[in-house]
Amino acid sequence: MMEPVLRIHNLTKHMGSLTPVKGISFNLERGSCTALLGPNGAGKTTTLRMLAGLLSPSQGEIRYGNSGETGADNQRWQKRIGYLPQYPKFYGWMSGLEYLIFSAKLSGLPGKQAKLRSLEVLEMVGLQEAANRRISGYSGGMKQRLGIAQALVHEPEMILLDEPVSALDPIGRREVMDLLDRLRGEVTILFSTHVLHDAEEVCDRMVLMVDGRIAEQGELSELRAKYRQPLLLLEVEPGEREADWLRSLPERHFIEEAEIRNRAARLVVQDMDEARAALVREMADAGIRFQRIEAGASSLEDMFMKVVGA
Amino acid sequence: MSMFWIHFKKEMLEAARSYKWIWVPAVFLLLGVMQPVMMYYLPDILMMSGDIPPEAAALITVPPPEEILASTLSQFSTIGLLVLVLSAMNTVAGERSNGTAELVLPRISSVLPMMIAKWAAMMSLLILSFVLGYAGSAYYTSQLIGTLEWGPMLGAGAFYIAWLAWIVTLVLPLGAVLRGPAAAFIALGSAAALTMLASLLPSHLQWSPGRLSAIATECLTGGDPSAWAPAVSAVCFMALSTIAATLLLKRRPLLPQA
Ligand SMILES: Nc1ncnc2c1ncn2[C@@H]1O[C@H](COP(=O)(O)OP(=O)(O)OP(=O)(O)O)[C@@H](O)[C@H]1O
Ligand SMILES: [Mg+2]
Repeated sequence: MMEPVLRIHNLTKHMGSLTPVKGISFNLERGSCTALLGPNGAGKTTTLRMLAGLLSPSQGEIRYGNSGETGADNQRWQKRIGYLPQYPKFYGWMSGLEYLIFSAKLSGLPGKQAKLRSLEVLEMVGLQEAANRRISGYSGGMKQRLGIAQALVHEPEMILLDEPVSALDPIGRREVMDLLDRLRGEVTILFSTHVLHDAEEVCDRMVLMVDGRIAEQGELSELRAKYRQPLLLLEVEPGEREADWLRSLPERHFIEEAEIRNRAARLVVQDMDEARAALVREMADAGIRFQRIEAGASSLEDMFMKVVGA
Repeated sequence: MSMFWIHFKKEMLEAARSYKWIWVPAVFLLLGVMQPVMMYYLPDILMMSGDIPPEAAALITVPPPEEILASTLSQFSTIGLLVLVLSAMNTVAGERSNGTAELVLPRISSVLPMMIAKWAAMMSLLILSFVLGYAGSAYYTSQLIGTLEWGPMLGAGAFYIAWLAWIVTLVLPLGAVLRGPAAAFIALGSAAALTMLASLLPSHLQWSPGRLSAIATECLTGGDPSAWAPAVSAVCFMALSTIAATLLLKRRPLLPQA
């Protein structure tokens, strides 16, 4: 279970004056599901293209399979990878079924098996009714499903999906997430997304990329624990006194981080009990007319927003 | 070999579904048949229009059959070549600009069978179209005007196919770096330049594949040109173009915007 199927080390890509990927390293274990998370322009697509063999890395290395395997073996690995581009483009004059058979044959499946397997994946993604229609008449969501079907058609060991759900409606999204959930364990999955929620839904690991670098990576459960900090949310009535008091909050020693708005504050504190007691006392003494006080914990989402926003 | 067939079938199916197998041969057939028919009726038409003095009309005669066939070839050199190049310009450029290459290339370990299949599909269409047009022209010429000899006719046809083929093949490497229309334009431009240079500096450019169209005409009109060097260089040109296209596509499979 802990055997890595993909190891990348110091992977870098230069494109003209830009460096969209600036030396990233991570491993994928066999059967794991990893989300490649990041905002627009983080370098997710560039990374996946390098892993799919479409772009050659400027620096660093990609190793598939066991440690001894070298460049020539990487070539063989191509057939064991399924890749879905961010905007998959097909031959509009082919039918969905024809396209899948063509793809399966390119990946080395013999004719009869190619057809059987194509029908199987068409059903998996819910396209069996449109199988014999020309792709030029498919809707955007249908094309996206066909894209997922072609990534699976040759029974790859690893699939690389570039934003598989961004173009889908909520129902389609649900279906694809369920499909990924079913594939977990059999297939090693790496998919990119902007949305932390997607990652948390099916994956056990994530790699957060920002501006070409890895900002954070690890098991989701570990990261959740790591970024779980006590948090106090305050909301006050509009007023001069209240506003002044809110602005003075960051000076308190028990407050680690404060985000102050006009009538509200979001405080990350060291010790919840101490902070709660101190703040309630202060508010009573100063006569602050609060509307709401809430104690909670910060989540991964907060970390994500902070890293991405910075 | 099996990879070649998969790509070749796909190319042929694409050409059929986009009706290339109909309109390209149709253009050649039309051009081929029109030439002898026009030439045959031209004196009558001129006569009927009436304002030509009889002395002038007597000068307008139907040319010999070999010349008619040669003038058919010159028709093919303009409109025919244009149609062929336009029909071929997106074989490689289209895969890049549409983005279909992004799905195909990760699956294949070598681009060469794909490129050879693309070339072979282009050549099938070219040969079929040319043979149809040429045969149509020869048939009407022999029916209306006079008999043709098989030997020179077949020889001329073969050299002419070689001439069309190396030019059309240029869209493969050009399409791997440019968009379709630009590739077509440059392919036609460089063909025109080479063909013109070959006729301006014949002694320096004995080997130039641009001479092949002139050689084909010469074949028909009774010469016995030495065509060995240009024919070999046309074959080399095509092989180099195909290999260059393979390397270029492998290097930059995607358009920057895609
Ligand atoms: N072909 C290219 N030529 C030049 N620059 C490129 C190219 N492809 C990507 N870039 C640049 O690399 C950076 C990262 O792009 P990339 O597409 O990898 O981001 P992404 O994380 O996939 O973003 P998104 O979420 O918008 O899809 C961007 O700044 C982009 O402008
Ligand atoms: Mg992207």
